[in-house]
Amino acid sequence: MKARAAARLLLAAAGLLLLPLGLRAANRRHPAASLQPSYLPALSGPRERQPFEAERVTDLARMNPGLVVIGDSMAGSRIDPALLTQLTGRLTAPLLYAGSGPAWWYLALKNWVIASGIRPRAVIVFFRDTNLTNVLFRIDATWSLDTAALEREDDLNAAVARRRGTTFYRLRDAFDRLYQAEEARRWIEPAVSEWPARLLFPFRRPRAAFLAQLNERFGLEHLRPMDAADMQATEDREADFDAFVDRSQLPLMLRDARQAGLTLVLVRVQRRPVGGRPPVQSPALQRYVGKLKAYVEANGGIFMDDTGDPAETLDLYEDGDHLSRDGRRRYTETFAARLRQRLP
Amino acid sequence: MIFHSLDFVVFFILVTAVYWRLRHRGQNILLLAASYFFYGYVHPWFLILIASSTVIDYLAARGMERHPDRRRLFMALSIVSNFGMLGFFKYFNFFVDNLHVVLEAAGLHVGLPVLRVILPVGISFYTFQAMSYTVDVFRGELRARRSLLDVAVFISFFPHLVAGPIQRASYLLPQVEQARRFSLPRATSGFYLMVWGFFKKLVIADNVGVIANKVFGLNDPSFEVLWAGVFAFAIQIYADFSAYTDIARGSSRWLGFELTENFDHPYLARNPADFWRRWNISLSTWFRDYVYIPLGGSRAGEGTWARNVLITFLLSGLWHGASWNYVLWGLYHGVLLVLTRAHEILRPAPRVSRVSYRAVLQIPVMFALTLVGWLLFRETELSAIVRDLKLMPWHSSAFERQAGLYLFLLAFGYSVPLWAQSVWVELHRGKTRSDEPEAGWGIAVLKAVACGAAFTAILVLRSRTSLDFIYFQF
Repeated sequence: MKARAAARLLLAAAGLLLLPLGLRAANRRHPAASLQPSYLPALSGPRERQPFEAERVTDLARMNPGLVVIGDSMAGSRIDPALLTQLTGRLTAPLLYAGSGPAWWYLALKNWVIASGIRPRAVIVFFRDTNLTNVLFRIDATWSLDTAALEREDDLNAAVARRRGTTFYRLRDAFDRLYQAEEARRWIEPAVSEWPARLLFPFRRPRAAFLAQLNERFGLEHLRPMDAADMQATEDREADFDAFVDRSQLPLMLRDARQAGLTLVLVRVQRRPVGGRPPVQSPALQRYVGKLKAYVEANGGIFMDDTGDPAETLDLYEDGDHLSRDGRRRYTETFAARLRQRLP
Repeated sequence: MIFHSLDFVVFFILVTAVYWRLRHRGQNILLLAASYFFYGYVHPWFLILIASSTVIDYLAARGMERHPDRRRLFMALSIVSNFGMLGFFKYFNFFVDNLHVVLEAAGLHVGLPVLRVILPVGISFYTFQAMSYTVDVFRGELRARRSLLDVAVFISFFPHLVAGPIQRASYLLPQVEQARRFSLPRATSGFYLMVWGFFKKLVIADNVGVIANKVFGLNDPSFEVLWAGVFAFAIQIYADFSAYTDIARGSSRWLGFELTENFDHPYLARNPADFWRRWNISLSTWFRDYVYIPLGGSRAGEGTWARNVLITFLLSGLWHGASWNYVLWGLYHGVLLVLTRAHEILRPAPRVSRVSYRAVLQIPVMFALTLVGWLLFRETELSAIVRDLKLMPWHSSAFERQAGLYLFLLAFGYSVPLWAQSVWVELHRGKTRSDEPEAGWGIAVLKAVACGAAFTAILVLRSRTSLDFIYFQF
């Protein structure tokens, strides 16, 4: 009886571990397996990618801006480039991508700004709380990352590898490698997500048009205010500066900017006020911000923190951490004044 | 600590390995330490709450037994402390918000305090479980335990601590007190349950959850898109919550415990009463035994019965969260029960077998009614609920109809294993259970293949967006 029960348990365990090996055989029948290696092998295996937007380099070189603003929708909803140009007298070039993260900001700095050879007075990067030391934040947003990445990104890959070098990721990656799960995902995922579209639109062109329209349907302009704001909460476990700084892209950003003779201005935006006051910051986050400021300044950067700024009242905000159109204008005015103080 | 993390896997393997090397008392000490480690893993201060709740309920129960003349006093102590903590952490801001609205309406502008702490996860679950112990002792249905360790293990037993199923003291405490022996067939069935649970969570719930989140994130949904989202949410909440239960029950079996079932294929329910016999069974029986029956149940006429049902469901809704939409959801189900009963009184239905043509019609109707309930549950803004209920299909464009159908099919595709299992179980109800030891090797091979298929699906279809278990927030 006992032997029989043990055999059943072993059988179940064997089924669990052996059956997925069939993925390896299935992958051989699929062309996705012959893709080029990723520029971030620490993150993903070979995959299709969007092309690098090389025209940004020539555009920047032609434009020769005095200020460059890099960031996601936090920057986009705060800075009006035309107004900032007018107020500072420096032509402002925005390099913005909604839903982008620090890896994209680093790549935009390195592969577009520095590669263009321009010498703006400052490159300004907007971020929230612990974004700058979390290289994995939105790194899955490959649609944006691809646009700024070259064929090899060894430094960024090393940072990602250091950050993901925990037991969890190692084990998960080992499983993925053993079963070639990532390769399988590339052809199984689209098949699963697109089968209803194939059923509704048997022909490729109307299907593609439908899926494109569906993506637009869930675009930012159709989302409710709080959802549009992407209120990704800062977790205290991320607020450990010493643990994460060397496993992030932040040292690379500061190093590359310094070597290129650029002044990097890192602006921490204030999150949405609560009850008429700036949002409460945990002691861990306060310690983190103090260390971040010291680190940035020690490495030749300028650190600006909007949190607690009395001018940033709730009426500036529209949804979540985003500012309204009027708030954007007022913020740009305040920011221009602050920038003049820091960059005479 | 969450089940679908490597931390839990390592923790569980270590605990189980050490556990079976210990004698009974040692096992209980390890269980308590492991449970407290599990619970305080992210926020150690949560432990103060569960430990104080345990000590107070232990002392209150002992006091009731030692001083029968002061039983009510000790019961009141237990109620006030348990519901006081629950009320403070869960309902304080809700109360203040609503008071603020009332005062503003009356022209009084008063700055009221707001609690800036997170809700301790699982507080609603372990509070109710602890209360079942003191109430049963108060009623004389259970004797007060001398061992604080046993009571503490009963309240904090980690597999079901955060999201149930809520266990009765009369059911779980004896298991804590008795010597346990490792059983391979039980462990094997626990293994199946855990694999099925992880599959439901990572492949079904998280994938359809992304659809539901997208739809409920829209500020201008159409009728078709909205109801496709509601359908996705219905699948998500069932797959998610029942997955937690399965993992809890499966991991308990490895430790020699048996937890009660919490779901019985609720989307095949034929009427509201049937639904509540199948959905979150541990919570609905708790409310039945500790709220509905003490209120008088169905003993005092139809009018009183209807009142008792409505009160019970209102409280059940409020248990889920400090928000008016949960109250609405509870009331909605209470009203459904009352209306069904009224219909039965006016038009008594003939008794039918479990599977019949009548059932084939009743099941989709009940499922549609359940979907309306999930809309109330998922939509937190009352204005959005009103807007959603006003949506009509004939206002939609062709694209919206296609989008709704696409999202519905996508959610349905993910949920096929769930439906298949439910239908299979329903058709074979009462026949031999396939996880019994005497089931043939054919079944064992099939289950091994199913485990492999589930793990394959987890590897290649797990959602890239990892969502928390929904019931963690309650």
